[in-house]
Amino acid sequence: MTSKRILLLVLCSGILMTGCTQVRPWERGYLARDEMLWDADALERQLNDHIFFSKEASSGGSSAAGGGCGCN
Amino acid sequence: MNMNQGVKVFLALFAGLLLNSAAAVEEGDQVPQLTLPSIYADRPDISLPALEGKTLYVDFWASWCAPCLTSLPLYNEMYHKYKDQGLEVIAISVDNPAEDGLDFLEDTPLDFLIPSDPEGNAAEAFGVIGMPSSYLISPDGEVKLVHMGFRNGDMEHIEAAIIENLP
Repeated sequence: MTSKRILLLVLCSGILMTGCTQVRPWERGYLARDEMLWDADALERQLNDHIFFSKEASSGGSSAAGGGCGCN
Repeated sequence: MNMNQGVKVFLALFAGLLLNSAAAVEEGDQVPQLTLPSIYADRPDISLPALEGKTLYVDFWASWCAPCLTSLPLYNEMYHKYKDQGLEVIAISVDNPAEDGLDFLEDTPLDFLIPSDPEGNAAEAFGVIGMPSSYLISPDGEVKLVHMGFRNGDMEHIEAAIIENLP
């Protein structure tokens, strides 16, 4: 690999890294909002869980306790 | 630039990204000098330097943080128990929007100081690494206890530390 290609790779990686950010502990409320859920509609979620249970004979694993703050 | 140099630059950039956070306040440090607006629009700003001479218990909380909501009524009891001996409790709300915190306070009135920090500037200054986090500060401004999380039985430990550091 030539030096120019390596430099280009490093620069591109550097630019892409500006899109990375840590969610700080005090910002985790954003993750706890309803719109951050995979299934925001509780009724639809229950229906999907029921269908999953009927087909797979197992349930659970679709959600976790707490609001995503990592403190519960 | 050879391959090894490229990898080193890449690692340096990655390390820089990981280290891009303020150092956390630890026991023995001096308390950050902060002034924050009260969560209540009709109450004055809350300044930590102005409270020097009192024992401060600074807590970071949010309405989406379940253990925080468990701890706050207990802190209210503790505040009433020791306020005449020089304890001041400052529970900094990091709710954004701040109205989320006010909704909780409507149902659970608290009598101590409640500043609002929706942008997380105070949390950044303290280097909060988990919610809830609380800091016991002696009358001369030294951090005496850093307490993270809140579980049953924690109050005994916190109360003992407060009694030890009352003015």
